Amino acid sequence: MSKVIENLILSHSKDNVATAKSPIKSGTSLTISKGKKIIVKEEIPFAHKIALRGIPRDGAVIKYGERIGRAIREIKPGELVHIHNVVGERGRSKGRKKG
Amino acid sequence: MNFLGYKRPDGKMGVRNHVVILPSVACSNEVCNAIARKVKGTISIPHQHGCAQLAFDAEQTARTLIGVGKNPNVAAVLVIGLGCEVVNSTMIASKIAESGKPVKNLVIQEVGGSPKTIKEGVKIAKEMVSFASRLKREKSKPNSLILGVECGGSDACSGLSANPALGVTSDLLIKEGGTIILSETTESIGAEHILAKRAINKKVREKILEIVMRTEMRALNLGLDIGKANPAPGNYEGGITTLEEKSLGCVMKGGTSKVMEVLEYSELPTQKGLVLMDTPGHDAESMTGLIAGGTQIIAFTTGRGNPLGSPIAPVIKIASNSYLYSKMKDNMDINAGEIVTGNKTVQEIGEKIFREVFRVANGKLTKSEIWGHQEFAINRIGPSF
Repeated sequence: MSKVIENLILSHSKDNVATAKSPIKSGTSLTISKGKKIIVKEEIPFAHKIALRGIPRDGAVIKYGERIGRAIREIKPGELVHIHNVVGERGRSKGRKKG
Repeated sequence: MNFLGYKRPDGKMGVRNHVVILPSVACSNEVCNAIARKVKGTISIPHQHGCAQLAFDAEQTARTLIGVGKNPNVAAVLVIGLGCEVVNSTMIASKIAESGKPVKNLVIQEVGGSPKTIKEGVKIAKEMVSFASRLKREKSKPNSLILGVECGGSDACSGLSANPALGVTSDLLIKEGGTIILSETTESIGAEHILAKRAINKKVREKILEIVMRTEMRALNLGLDIGKANPAPGNYEGGITTLEEKSLGCVMKGGTSKVMEVLEYSELPTQKGLVLMDTPGHDAESMTGLIAGGTQIIAFTTGRGNPLGSPIAPVIKIASNSYLYSKMKDNMDINAGEIVTGNKTVQEIGEKIFREVFRVANGKLTKSEIWGHQEFAINRIGPSF
């Protein structure tokens, strides 16, 4: 199931985010797969998520192989993924984007 | 794996041997507390309810009080009413007595006030404690266990460590013939498709989707966002970003078995294996529903740290990360944070929790019991009138 890459836990192969096992400093280089590196763009606190791939605005954020929310702006690889750039779509009157 | 439990007249096995002083209405709380203070070995369970409630709401409170009294961890019950309440104490007492355990009832307005009722209650409680103290533990099969699985104060590690580990425990207990109750419907929103896929039949599948939609619509019909309360502020600080993320981690506690049944709040399971109960994300209310449903032990995962206990069931606390475990060690029973650090696997911690469940069933006190945590909260589904 979940897989540890460097200082990150990847819960599913489809995921575009991973969870920090301990705080990660901005500028750290992480090898996320063979020959694929990302540079951490900002401090990632313990247990918070980092983008492994670019996620376009309105794109799905995937953890556990499932959709956990929608990006409200473009998220670049290495950026912190949290409530400042993602919204949930359930239990919210303005959750799902029309169309 | 077997354990040593208290056999009740209805054949159910208790892992604790409580004598409960139970108010049927808030008006009896202090009389119950006074009796419990005077008689060692009794517990009073004060609550705010039992009057000025209508229809389904009063019925849910009654069902909860009856279920708490019938719980196999309870040896004997003294029910105390005021006399004019909606949730009538004589009815509650007679329903609990159907289980065959000793039950007595006092009504403050009939006995003639607080001091007289306390005096009368102390006499009864003393007899009950003497009776309970003579009961002996005997060999019990694991299929007589109902384990409630709960989470509170989750963080983004919960779904990666403690919850999947508890899922392993759930699968192991079900393999031994036991029952798991997975609750907290709010924290199934966004993960209901996973549970629905595992439903044993169409009726159960539809019921899963119905309770989740009902919960979601209750907030939306008020024009409110669930995300203002759930995830809670501490969940966000712990790295959880959305309700869906929290839910996907939450439902892992139930393991991978088929869903056999969906219960309303405080209902007793009629099936073995994995069952769901419709409870809110409020942990004290959810655990109260679980114990009313006959749960003898609760396994409770937390990432932010949560000290809650239950007056009836021992609560085993499982930390999702090692920072929390070392910071709140006094409240934590097991550290699943070793999964995050890579020192242990999900399977290993799941097996460890499983062994702990049986140790606790045999009488080992949990941290929540040692600190005297007895939080009790009945879920309301209607306003007071």
